[in-house]
Amino acid sequence: MQFFHNHILSIILFTPLLGLVVLLFIPGEKKDAVRWWGNIAMFAGFLVSLPLVFWFNSEAPDQQFKFIERTDWIPSIGAQYFLGIDGISFLLIMLTTVLGFLSVLSSWTAIQERMKEYYAMFLLLQAGMLGVFMSLDFFLFYVFWEVMLVPMYFIIGVWGGPRKLYAAIKFFLYTLAGSVLMLLGILTLYFRYHTDTGIYTFNVLTLMQHGWPANLQFWVFWAFMVGFAIKVPMFPFHTWLPDAHVEAPTAGSVILAGVLLKMGTYGFVRFSLPLLPQASASPAIVKVMVTLSIIAIIYGALVSMMQRDMKKLIAYSSVSHLGFCTLGIFALNPHGLSGSVLQQINHGISTGALFLIVGLIYERRHTREIKELSGLSNVMPVYATLFMIVMLSSIGLPLLNGFIGEFTILQGAFEVTWHWAAWAVVGIVLGAAYMLWLYQRTMFGTCDNPKNQILKDLNLREIVTLVPLVIWAFWIGLYPKPFFHVLEKPVAAIVQRVNPSFYAAAPAVSAAIPAGTPIPAAPAEPSSGPTNPAPGVAH
Amino acid sequence: MVPVSHVLALSVILFGLGAAGFIVRRNIITIFMCIELMLNAVNLAFIAFSRYLGDPDGQIFVFFVIVVAAAEAAMGLAIIIAVQRNRQTLSIDDLDSMKL
Amino acid sequence: MITVQASDFIRILPQEILSAFAILVMVFEPFLPSSRKVVLGWFSLLGVVAAGAAAVRTSYSLGPAFNASIAADPFSIYFIALFLLVAALCLLGSFNYLQRDNINHGEFYALILMGTVGMCFMAASTELIMIFLGLEISSLSTYVLAGFKRHDGLSNEASLKYFLLGSFATAFFLYGIAFVYGLTGTTNLMTLSERLSRTGTGGTPLLWVAIVLMFIGLGFKVSTAPFHVWTPDVYQGAPAPVTAFLSVGPKAAAFAVILRIFLGAFHAVGSVSFQMLWLSAILTMVVGNLAALWQSNVKRLLAYSAIAHAGYVLVGIAAGSAEGVSAVLFYLTVYALMNVGAFILIAPIAGTGERALRVEDYTGLGYTRPGVAACLTVFMLSLGGIPTTAGFLGKFYLFRAAIHAHLIGLVIVAVLTSVVSVYYYLRLVVVMYMREGQPQATSEPLPLALRVALATSVIGIFVLGLFPLLLKKKGEAEASPRHTKLAQVR
Repeated sequence: MQFFHNHILSIILFTPLLGLVVLLFIPGEKKDAVRWWGNIAMFAGFLVSLPLVFWFNSEAPDQQFKFIERTDWIPSIGAQYFLGIDGISFLLIMLTTVLGFLSVLSSWTAIQERMKEYYAMFLLLQAGMLGVFMSLDFFLFYVFWEVMLVPMYFIIGVWGGPRKLYAAIKFFLYTLAGSVLMLLGILTLYFRYHTDTGIYTFNVLTLMQHGWPANLQFWVFWAFMVGFAIKVPMFPFHTWLPDAHVEAPTAGSVILAGVLLKMGTYGFVRFSLPLLPQASASPAIVKVMVTLSIIAIIYGALVSMMQRDMKKLIAYSSVSHLGFCTLGIFALNPHGLSGSVLQQINHGISTGALFLIVGLIYERRHTREIKELSGLSNVMPVYATLFMIVMLSSIGLPLLNGFIGEFTILQGAFEVTWHWAAWAVVGIVLGAAYMLWLYQRTMFGTCDNPKNQILKDLNLREIVTLVPLVIWAFWIGLYPKPFFHVLEKPVAAIVQRVNPSFYAAAPAVSAAIPAGTPIPAAPAEPSSGPTNPAPGVAH
Repeated sequence: MVPVSHVLALSVILFGLGAAGFIVRRNIITIFMCIELMLNAVNLAFIAFSRYLGDPDGQIFVFFVIVVAAAEAAMGLAIIIAVQRNRQTLSIDDLDSMKL
Repeated sequence: MITVQASDFIRILPQEILSAFAILVMVFEPFLPSSRKVVLGWFSLLGVVAAGAAAVRTSYSLGPAFNASIAADPFSIYFIALFLLVAALCLLGSFNYLQRDNINHGEFYALILMGTVGMCFMAASTELIMIFLGLEISSLSTYVLAGFKRHDGLSNEASLKYFLLGSFATAFFLYGIAFVYGLTGTTNLMTLSERLSRTGTGGTPLLWVAIVLMFIGLGFKVSTAPFHVWTPDVYQGAPAPVTAFLSVGPKAAAFAVILRIFLGAFHAVGSVSFQMLWLSAILTMVVGNLAALWQSNVKRLLAYSAIAHAGYVLVGIAAGSAEGVSAVLFYLTVYALMNVGAFILIAPIAGTGERALRVEDYTGLGYTRPGVAACLTVFMLSLGGIPTTAGFLGKFYLFRAAIHAHLIGLVIVAVLTSVVSVYYYLRLVVVMYMREGQPQATSEPLPLALRVALATSVIGIFVLGLFPLLLKKKGEAEASPRHTKLAQVR
């Protein structure tokens, strides 16, 4: 038990890999065995992550990162096997294990070909994603970040729709280009740290302690920004997303939207902000990031309205929702950040569920065209009910999770300037419009298409894939306190680092900044000079 | 006595002629002879240097080079014959079956 | 006074054993019926293993041999082990191929062994004429190997082109040696190094000419741009297991020579060497990677990829530091595993007479031959430098060394071109797994020998990708400062 407790992160990380190894020994013809094992392994992955929920709050309450595991990996370059989580990564890990299992469960009948490879890819993907959220060593992080690309590429490219080749390659090359830029950023820090201290390390916590010169921070921020923004995806980098989503199989879309996109926002929160506080808080960068976020919110919503394909509609809605997340991050205050992280979880829940719902109808009708579907609530009442809950959670109705996240982000944005909040509200209104319109067109009306009249309602397995997400949505909607509690400390630590003036001027700050100067960091600028000894070293 | 620079100049000219011939000529045998010319230019240089330095090593190197050149000639002619048998041509321009 | 001692012979024990086995293969050859020739193959493999054991023995009595013309140092032992690995993998990959394509002659194995001997001498020699002889021994063997399909026009053509351009390059190398000899009065690398550093840095213009001539000669061997023109044709025309051998063995040997000559002996005139290496690294990476994008023949595609990889290695050499040398040594091993693996795997896919070589021929291979496709995918991902494979760490080490030497521009080109390269490596993966259709490729089961070779490569790639220190520690020990004075001069 003690061993289990001390190595819980490694166990969570390696359970899918262990499942993968066993899976390789099951002959591919035994489809049932393969399917059962794939599900069992994923469920086991979820089960071993459950103890985290009970242990998290009591574990090492005074430390920022918990459940730390650390050994040398490649000492000659300073790479370590260094895992550890805080509240932010804890929530994302739980989201990953839950969604991982549900998405695999949803493929029970949907995937009939090349089943063994399919489950193998999912198990590998799962390990990669978990590794990204756990790594506190940049090298390890980068390895997981890249590794996860390969299975996702195969999932889209092999089990995808008609234009899968194009989508898969576009996804791969976009992300690869971004991550190589990110790698250059990481290496810049790595070598600079060596120049300054004579030590090679990829240890994120050590690198955070270092005072980086302002202009270096600036360049590295942009390198990171491209890598993360492609993943999120932020506005000008989003074009791979609709293609990838539309072509990917249902489970692939669920994971893509539910977890993969979060890696981008997670990257901003975990690395960009605390490592490069001056750059992240500089007025120019905040302005750019917030503008791009707001464009994404509104543009994503508008484009969603135009879509005829359900999946594409949801894909663009992701662009819009992730825009909220980045907006929250660059509000640089506790409300914005914790709202953003919570909204990432919410988006995982609701959009994951929405993709599952589209997948269910696609499996039955082999189309996702909105105009092909109407009046489904008559023939599939359970389906319609679940769809409604999920849809309402996505548009942010009170009592459901989306409301809490969006509200907190808006609060954070408002504390900086009401302009941002106002623009974001436009996005919410548009969001409600396209989702309700989608629901109305597909579920209500008369069910006059004979193909739709014979559709069967959901079976038990399909309900099981959706219900946990619905329960989770209600939980966050009704009682979000435990989530905020978990987020409170890590968020405070980040804000303390990136925007120290927030705490210095505490409650007065929002009133002190006149409307129209949307820069929370503006008062921080003069104070950051003396606190940072580095600029002298820069030249 | 001929100064070493003269011999070297001759060697350079021979090497240059060989290299130019290698590039310009189209007949495989001629191209091959151009390589031989280059190797002999090298030999000339070795001998010239050997005499200039008063060191016999250079002349020994020449023997190595001659032996290697002989082995190369044997090998090269065999390859050329194989090509001639399969292709019925000795023009380098006809050997382009692997272009894009 | 030249004296020969018993220890001299121990210091070239691996080469002796390989030569003996090669001669024995030739002796036995006429007495075996053509259906039993594979016995000679296993016999040669035994020779390679024996040479490996000999290399271990040699590593316990290091030192100069034969009047300091040969050195048994950690550097040469490392390379000899690498060549033996390559030879073993190529032998294992060739047994079935030779039978199938009806070129089952014992000389093949003898030539592989002799080629390996030549390469071992290249890496071990510390005397320019010895290096030249090693180069010729390995070249003459590989010229014949490239044309081993005597009745196949493509193979003839490959052999002829390789021969003509190879000899052409050798003449340049030799002319360079002649100039060095004339200018310094020695061809021994140690003496050369001393004399050059005594006369001060910079050197004379004539010495620069000599350096450039030698680099042209070696540049042909490692196929750096613009001396790479022969590579695609030769790699395409030569029988696939031979291509596997060609694309790694002589190349690694020539890199060993480059390390010894340019970072060792010529460190005193470092700036010329450096500019040359820098320029040719950039050209090679750009030309190799861009040309590979347009290839439709798998062998040509891999040939251009091999060119590009030579460029990455040059990046490490241009760094000119001990770190760079150790990165180069690591990378060459990684490169050997993935490249030999890929080429010997092409042979069974292409079928008799190597007919299925177009990229489209691989359509659907992932389902008809999952094992083969999975191996090829691993090789492609490793060549592309995706993490957890050794290809990633290999590049990482190279680029890290280059950054330390402040070659930022070079590293940026390297990183960008290797991103481009992922596109063409993925093309193969795409057609194997993501295109529907019946593959043109044949589906005969893989013979055992080939399976062993592939398993070695794949496992090696992952082991080195995750635990590089198993090998890297050795590489660091080998990169003795003696070879790496370039950095100090610059």
